[in-house]
Amino acid sequence: MAAPMELSCWGGDWGLPSLHPESLTVMAYAKFAGAPLTVNTINNSWSTPKADVPVLISEDIVISQPAKILNFLRKQRYNADYELSAKQGADTLAYIALLEEKLLPALLHTFWVEAENYCSVTKPWFASRIPFPLSLYLPGKMSREALNRILLTRGGPPLYSLTEVEAQIYRDAKECLNLLSKRLGTSQFFFGNTPTTLDAFVFGFLAPVYKVCFPRVQLQEHLKQLTNLCRFCDDILTCYFKLTVTGHSPSGQDTADANLQKLTQLVNKESNLIEKMDDNLRKSPQHPPRKITTLKLAAGGEESSPLNRLSP
Amino acid sequence: MSLVAEAFMNQLAAAEPWPENAALYQQLKEDQILLSDNAASLAVQAFLQMCNLPVRVVCRANAEYMSPSGKVPFIHVGNQVVSELGPIVQFVKAKGHSLSDGLDEVQKAEMKAYMELVNNMLLTAELYLQWCDDVTVEEITHPRYGSPYPWPLNRILSYQKQWEIRRKMKAIGWAGKSLEQVLEDVDQCCQALSQRLGTQPYFFNKQPTELDALVFGHLFTILTTQLITDELSEKVKNYGNLTAFCRRIEQQYFEGHDKDSSATASARYAKRSLLR
Repeated sequence: MAAPMELSCWGGDWGLPSLHPESLTVMAYAKFAGAPLTVNTINNSWSTPKADVPVLISEDIVISQPAKILNFLRKQRYNADYELSAKQGADTLAYIALLEEKLLPALLHTFWVEAENYCSVTKPWFASRIPFPLSLYLPGKMSREALNRILLTRGGPPLYSLTEVEAQIYRDAKECLNLLSKRLGTSQFFFGNTPTTLDAFVFGFLAPVYKVCFPRVQLQEHLKQLTNLCRFCDDILTCYFKLTVTGHSPSGQDTADANLQKLTQLVNKESNLIEKMDDNLRKSPQHPPRKITTLKLAAGGEESSPLNRLSP
Repeated sequence: MSLVAEAFMNQLAAAEPWPENAALYQQLKEDQILLSDNAASLAVQAFLQMCNLPVRVVCRANAEYMSPSGKVPFIHVGNQVVSELGPIVQFVKAKGHSLSDGLDEVQKAEMKAYMELVNNMLLTAELYLQWCDDVTVEEITHPRYGSPYPWPLNRILSYQKQWEIRRKMKAIGWAGKSLEQVLEDVDQCCQALSQRLGTQPYFFNKQPTELDALVFGHLFTILTTQLITDELSEKVKNYGNLTAFCRRIEQQYFEGHDKDSSATASARYAKRSLLR
């Protein structure tokens, strides 16, 4: 509809299109709203931006935070919340605040602060996608920022040591997961049968916890007990992402194109044959050409219909 | 607190009924207390009034330092001291009084989500306005915050607090926001609250809950506090049902009781803007 839009974000692994919660939120929203977004995952080149990821670039406009990116997409008429009532829109804002206050500290802790997780999984993964020598500095900086955020927002008295803060944030995160599970209940998405902004945010926060294989996994184990949330994540992955890691359209589309090409070639061949036969018959004076050509056309039609059934 | 300590405290709390001499501590009303602290204190007072639990408000200059978590208000009940609305709600529940028992699971989830929304957006916006907006800091916050102390202690304490709050704002990404963006966020939050409230008397229809107390505390304080400009209170006044909600709770729970509590609490700053 509008100018082409490019999204720069962290790539994915373990079956996810991205490991970064905010990037994943934006990608999910774009899929839900049908926004045509070219996704550029951050790789070892120096040209892709590393800070403030995810970043949306459209013509000359550069937008960096998920909330602002979603607002921009909505202004471009890619609105996934079209059918929500005013109260549901208010609920969306409230639940997003709940996720940020209660779940995000524990998520940051699992990824960036928990020593075993950070050293064996997070740091190598991110460092492999950042060019040297930035790869020596940036993961450490992200880890320090995460710890800082946790301590400043949750670390005051009466919690005096890091272990007490950790215990509190994991307890809050588990409570938040329980609340989300109760709110989701048995429905497919949070507001009925179509996914909305809230689904994008919940998916963005939950999917990394659910899928990434860490050595220390208390939050993941708790999440796996809440089967409706796991089903929610899996549904979105299979319906909207189809195992894409690079952001290309799914392979089904490619086979459909190939089938269409084959069909076109066959039809062309058939019509060439028919023309030749037509010419031959016109040149020979004895037989009237009418019936034979109709028979040939019918045969051509029969042959092409099984091929029609093959392509989706 | 670990789970064991919490269970122990709940047991202690449950052992005794609510005493007559419960006290709520906050900073000095006329000269010292700031917008965000007053909002928190009013929310707790409203909550206790809704539970019909008597409490007297005691103003002390060092209330912040007496509090176990460093935040006001805190209540002194029997021989226990509990601060902030969340733990106070738990404590009161352990004593057998609760406003949210009648809610089902989904409604409880919603209530918690909306309380987080108020804390995340309204409270952070109030803190931003008080401590990160230079004009307000110079003219209102610094003079008020250090007013009980002699020079140079008053300046040192308020700079220390300002530095702490600015660090927190930077960590959560609010340091880069401009005042207009913060007011936009306040507007969005008020819109969400207004849409959720609709035409009902309280957020969960007939009975008030801790969410109503919290929203009342913040909105009433914003509406009745005179700052450098009126922009913040204008944002709230745009939503008629929110102002009616505040008036209703004020009339029901605060008028008729000692006039000291909230009605004159709003005559805080130099001028008073009346709740119309």
